[in-house]
Amino acid sequence: MGGLIEITLGIMTAVGGFVDVSEMVFAAQAGSRFIFSLIWVFAIGTIAMGIFGEMSGRVAAITKQPVFNLMRQRLDLGPGIIALIGSVVTSLITCAAEIGGTATVLKYLTGWPYPLLAGLTTLALVLVIWALPFKWIERLFGLLGLLMLVFAVSTVKIHPDWGGVARGFIPQAPVTLPMKDLVTYGYFVVAIISAVLFPYETYFYSSGGVEEEWKPKDVTVNKLVATVGFGLGSLLAISILVNAAVLFRPVHVDPSVIGTSALQAAIPFGKTGLLLALLGMVFAFSGAAVETGLSSAYSLSQFLGWEWGRLKKPHEAPRFTIAWVATFALSLVIVLTGIQPLDLVEWAVVLSIVVLPATYLPLILIANDRKYMNQYVNGPISNTLGWVFYAMICVAAVAALPLYFVTQGGKL
Amino acid sequence: MKPNGALKLLAEVRDLQIVDKDGKNCGICDDIELEGAPGKPLKIKALLVGPGAYEGRIPKWLFWMVCKMAGSRMTRVPWSAVDKISARIFLNVTGEEVGLRKVEDRWIRKFEKVPTS
Repeated sequence: MGGLIEITLGIMTAVGGFVDVSEMVFAAQAGSRFIFSLIWVFAIGTIAMGIFGEMSGRVAAITKQPVFNLMRQRLDLGPGIIALIGSVVTSLITCAAEIGGTATVLKYLTGWPYPLLAGLTTLALVLVIWALPFKWIERLFGLLGLLMLVFAVSTVKIHPDWGGVARGFIPQAPVTLPMKDLVTYGYFVVAIISAVLFPYETYFYSSGGVEEEWKPKDVTVNKLVATVGFGLGSLLAISILVNAAVLFRPVHVDPSVIGTSALQAAIPFGKTGLLLALLGMVFAFSGAAVETGLSSAYSLSQFLGWEWGRLKKPHEAPRFTIAWVATFALSLVIVLTGIQPLDLVEWAVVLSIVVLPATYLPLILIANDRKYMNQYVNGPISNTLGWVFYAMICVAAVAALPLYFVTQGGKL
Repeated sequence: MKPNGALKLLAEVRDLQIVDKDGKNCGICDDIELEGAPGKPLKIKALLVGPGAYEGRIPKWLFWMVCKMAGSRMTRVPWSAVDKISARIFLNVTGEEVGLRKVEDRWIRKFEKVPTS
């Protein structure tokens, strides 16, 4: 029974922690601009995330090694340092985007000045990480992030064209669109893949597995949490896309402002829906800020062999502690420069996809290495899917920067 | 695997996490120092730990950048201090005994003065 509760909580935490500011922004914009035709990208990205998430958890359980240790061993030092710098910069920008997103939503709720709210958000997150045990942090943000389920309930309430939604799951390229829109569609494909597969999620997940001392017997729980949890979380992102297609597109609302999506719950459920959506966004975004802030510290500490981990007290892993506190401090500085959270989201998404191939290559190699993994080595399905999705990520990584510049970040 | 066995040096030693006999992380094996002569067996003399050991493994411009950011210190850990090697390198001594964990321990002493840490 205890195991069942653990699995349920793990899945709920994965669902509540799945959607962050970039997924919300790109899901809403995708629905508003291209109706249901980008749903398949979320679906494929989520399968890839499930495959890589499961792999990273399994590797953590068997080898006791998190992703960044593997990255250095398998990529060699030089490429490893480049990947480290890319990863830290990406986590920093993503953390700033999440803090900016949280502050923006809090501004809607309180009316207080944005810089003050960004400062208070950062301070609160640092205090929470400092004071609370790892499990509590994960559960606090994951479970309160479940308030975002109001978006899924709204989808049911607004009665979308379910046939159209189902057809959205079939991979498609809308070749009838004018070239300008087709290129923008391509940018959204790449951006959504990046937003779903953000590398910090893998760093955080596998580091948590090592910290919690997962054992081979935890491999099944890991598989359930990674596949069911991420899958249900993705349905939440897809519901935001569907709501935007049904509610925003007909009245030409461009949800390019963080917070616009909250209206998706306000339309069917009034003030209560709006409040639930905004609170859900606060916890989902701030939970993602916690993950990115810690991921940056995990990456640095694991690459350099320092003591690390949130199960340790701050003084037991001092350089790890300095790294995550510094990430939050620098993120706040970035937010206070006045850069819009939405711009940060776009930069984070484009930089992430460039870093992704370096993140997942060592993971697939080690998960395929029988010497390390014994009977827990990749099976034929996860191996084939892993390489197929890896090829997809590489193509997306090559296309990301040109598409970003050509489409001016999807604003064409 | 025991330290007197045959090793694929680069794959099995370099870039592994070093853990001392108390289970504390002591950095990464950044490179290895070898000894030997023509006609004699090649043996590992020491593990090299610290950014100074990056020289020769990464391009000069990157090494210059690393040194500017992290310094160029390097610690030699005698091969005799190695207990066993698996996915990590386990030492049969404490990190302090072989000159590792200096920076970590300095920060630990500073952090112990911070309330609630």
